[in-house]
Amino acid sequence: MVKKLMLSVVALLMLFPAMAFAADEGPSTSLLNMGLNSVWIVVAFVLVLLMQGGFILLETGSTRMKNAGHVAGKTIFTIGLCTLIYWAFGYGIFNGGADISEGLRKFIGWGDFFYSPVTSAGEGDSFPVTAFFLFQLAFATISLSIAWGGFAERAKLSVYLVFTIFFTAVVYPVIAHWIWGGGWLAADGAQDYAGSTVVHLTGALAAMAATILLKPRIGKYNKDGSANEILGHNQVFSALSVLLLWVGWFGFNAGSALSVGDGFFGFVAFNTMLGAGAGTVSALLISWAITGKADISTTLNGALAGLVAITASCAFVDPWAAVVIGLVAGVLVFFSAKLFEKLRIDDPIYAMSVHGAAGVWGTLANGLFATDELATKVGVGQGGLFDTGSWHQFGVQLESVVVCGLYVLIASFIILGVMKLVMGLRVTEEQEIVGLDLSEHGTYGYPEQMKKAQNNNLQA
Amino acid sequence: MSDPQRLQLLRSINEAADAELLRSLRDHANDRMASKRSELPIDQFYTELNEAYDAMIRRAISLAEAHMARVGMGFPPVPYAYLLFGSGGRCEQTLSSDQDSGLVYEDEPDVEKAEANRNYFAKLSRQVVLVLERLGFPRCEGNVLSDNPAWSMSLSSWNKQLDEWFEHPAWESVRYLLIVADGRCVYGDSLLLDRMQDHFFANMGKHPIIIGRMLENTMRHKVLVGIFGQLLKERYGEDTGSIDMKYGAYIPMVNAIRLMAIQQEIRNTSTLERMKALQKAGVLSDEDARSYSEAFLLFLQLRLMTTEKQEMGMYANNGKLAVRTLTRDTIEQLKRGLRIGKRLQRRVFKQASVRLR
Repeated sequence: MVKKLMLSVVALLMLFPAMAFAADEGPSTSLLNMGLNSVWIVVAFVLVLLMQGGFILLETGSTRMKNAGHVAGKTIFTIGLCTLIYWAFGYGIFNGGADISEGLRKFIGWGDFFYSPVTSAGEGDSFPVTAFFLFQLAFATISLSIAWGGFAERAKLSVYLVFTIFFTAVVYPVIAHWIWGGGWLAADGAQDYAGSTVVHLTGALAAMAATILLKPRIGKYNKDGSANEILGHNQVFSALSVLLLWVGWFGFNAGSALSVGDGFFGFVAFNTMLGAGAGTVSALLISWAITGKADISTTLNGALAGLVAITASCAFVDPWAAVVIGLVAGVLVFFSAKLFEKLRIDDPIYAMSVHGAAGVWGTLANGLFATDELATKVGVGQGGLFDTGSWHQFGVQLESVVVCGLYVLIASFIILGVMKLVMGLRVTEEQEIVGLDLSEHGTYGYPEQMKKAQNNNLQA
Repeated sequence: MSDPQRLQLLRSINEAADAELLRSLRDHANDRMASKRSELPIDQFYTELNEAYDAMIRRAISLAEAHMARVGMGFPPVPYAYLLFGSGGRCEQTLSSDQDSGLVYEDEPDVEKAEANRNYFAKLSRQVVLVLERLGFPRCEGNVLSDNPAWSMSLSSWNKQLDEWFEHPAWESVRYLLIVADGRCVYGDSLLLDRMQDHFFANMGKHPIIIGRMLENTMRHKVLVGIFGQLLKERYGEDTGSIDMKYGAYIPMVNAIRLMAIQQEIRNTSTLERMKALQKAGVLSDEDARSYSEAFLLFLQLRLMTTEKQEMGMYANNGKLAVRTLTRDTIEQLKRGLRIGKRLQRRVFKQASVRLR
C-alpha cells in the first residue's frame, strides 16, 4: 500500500515538475499577462465564429423554405473559402509585415502571404500573432456573411464562390488596414472600436451593390411599384439567430480589447449590452406606434441595429450615451427598412438597414458622444462634440464613413459588374421559382414539406 | 319620392318578369346611383340605394315563389319572413354588398307536414339565393345565407337555437347572436321576426354575462388611426397606401353602436337610427350623437369610394380606399372621424366592462 502511494507521488512529480520547483522559477508577470490575453482572444475568436450560427439562422429564417438548405449551407462553404483566401492573401493586405514605402503603407499592407506565423509569443508581446490572426479572420467572415444578405434567394452558387475570393482579398482587408492596420484613417484618429464601419458597413455596402445589380426577387414588387411582403419561413429561427449574434457580440466587442489587463473589456461588454437592449425596445415601440402593430422582425432588427451601432462606440462613450445610441439605432432601422423598400431595393435580410444605416450611425455617434477620457485611454482620436465642444472628431468619423463607404461600394460594383458580364449573377427565373435548394444542390432543405407542397400544387 | 326616375325604377323592378330583366335593372340602378353619388346627401343616397335593392330582393323572392309553383312545389304552406342580416339588415348596403340572409317560418305541429315545410323553404331559399346571385349579389363568404339550413328554420327552432347560443356563448355563437341582432324582415310576415327578437331580448335579461362576451367579440377590429393621429394604411401588396375603410372605420363604429343599442333593447337596425334612439333614451348626449353620426356619415361616404370591381359578374369590393385619391381636407376629416370612432370604441369598452363588475 505504502509502496503504491510512493509510486504514484513520484509519477505525479514527474508529470508536473513545476509543482516541486514552483517556488524557484515562476512565470513572469508579463508571461502570465500574455497567457491571459491569449486565452481571452481565442475565446473571443470562438464567440465571433459562433456568430455565423446566428447568420445561418437569420438568413434562413428570413427567407423561404425552398432556399433553406442552400442559404444555410453556402454560409459554411464561404467561411471555409474565406479562411483560405484570408490566410493566403487577405491578412497580408490588412497587416502584412513586408518593408514597403510609407506612402503605400497608408493604403495597404503587404507581405506575410500564405501566412506562416511563429508558434508562440515573443518576449514582450502581449499576445501570440496566431490568436490575433484567428480573431481578425473571424471578423472577415462576419463581414462576408453580412454581404450575403444582398444576394439571398436569387444569386447563383458560383457567384458566392467568386465574390468570396475578391471580397476577402481586396475589399475587406483594405478597409481594415485603413482603420485598424495603421493606415491613413488610423493616423487621422478614426474611432471604430470593433468595426461598425470596418465590418458592418463594409458588408452592408457590398450587399447593396449586389442587390442593386441582382434586381428584386420575383414577386417582390407589383407593376404599379407597390411592394409585396415576402415573409421568411421561420420567425423562431430569426429570433434565435439574434440571440446567438447577441451572445457572440461579446467576443466581437469585448474581445476587441485584445487584452485582459485592467478589465476594461468588461466595460466594453457593459456598454454593448446597454446598446443592444435599447435598440430592441425602441424598435418595437416605433413599429407599434407607426403601424399599429408591434412587428417582430423590426424588433429583431432593432436588437441587431443596437449592437451594430454600439460596436464602434462601445469603448469611447459613457453608459447613458450607449443607451441613446441604441435607442436611435432601433428607430433608424425601422425607417431605413421602409426607405429601401420604397426605393425598390429588395433587401431580404435587411442587411443595408441593420448593418449599413446603423453602422453609419454608430460610427458618427463617436463624433458626438465620445469622451476625451476614454479616447485617451483607448489611445485613438479625441472626445466628441458633447464632451469637448469640438466638431473635430465628428469630422474624422464622417470622413472615415464616406471614404470607406465609397471604396467598398465602387470596388463591389466593379467586381460584381464584371462578374455579371462574364458569368451572370442571377439564376434563371425557373430556378428561382423552383428554389435554389433544388436548382443549385439537387435536394431540398426540407424534403418532406417541399414534396408535400409540390403534390398539393399538382392537385390544385 | 318626387323623383320620377326613382319611382319609375321601383315600378320596373316590381314588374320585372324574370331574373334577366332584373339583372339589367340592377345594372341600371348601379349606374344611376354611381352617377348620383356626389349629388345626393349621403343618408339620402343610402336610403335610395337600399330601397331599390330591397325592391329587387322582394321581386326576386316572388319570382322564386312563382318558380316553385311552376315546378309543382305549390305555394308557401305557412307564413314566413325573409330576413336580411349584415349591411342589408342595417339598410347600409353599398353598390357591391354581398348577400347575408336567413329565413324564419311559422311552426307546424304535425311532424310530416313540418318536414314538408322544411323541404319547401329549403328549395325556395335555394332559388332566391340563386336569383340574387344572377343579379350580381355574391354569396356571403361566412355562409350566412337562407339556403344554409342553419339560417333557415321554423320560429320554435330559431328560438331553441337562440337559447343554445345564449347558454353556450362560445366565440362563434356570440358572433351569430350579433348577426341576428342586425336582422330585418325584407319580405313576408314581419311578426315572425318580432317574436324572434322578443325571445332574443328575453334571453339578454337572463344572461347578463353575454354583454361581456359580445364586447370581446366586436372589439377586435381596431380603428385604423395611430397614436400620432396618423392613418394606419396597408403597407404591402396591391393596396399599398390604402386604408381599410370597412374593417378599420365603418365596422368598429357599427359594432360599438350595436352593442349600446342591444343594451338598451333598441330594435332599430340601421346604425344612424340606433344613434337617434340612443340619444332619445338619454344614453348619448346631443353633442355625442351629433359627432358620432357625422363621423359615421363620413365613413359611409368614403366606403362608397373604395376600390370596386366586377368579378365573374358579381359586384365586389375590398373595402379599401386609396388615400392618395383624397383631398387634403377629406384626409383631415377622416382622421378626425377616426379619432371620434376610437373614442366611441373606448367608451363602449369602459361601459360594458363596468357593467360586468
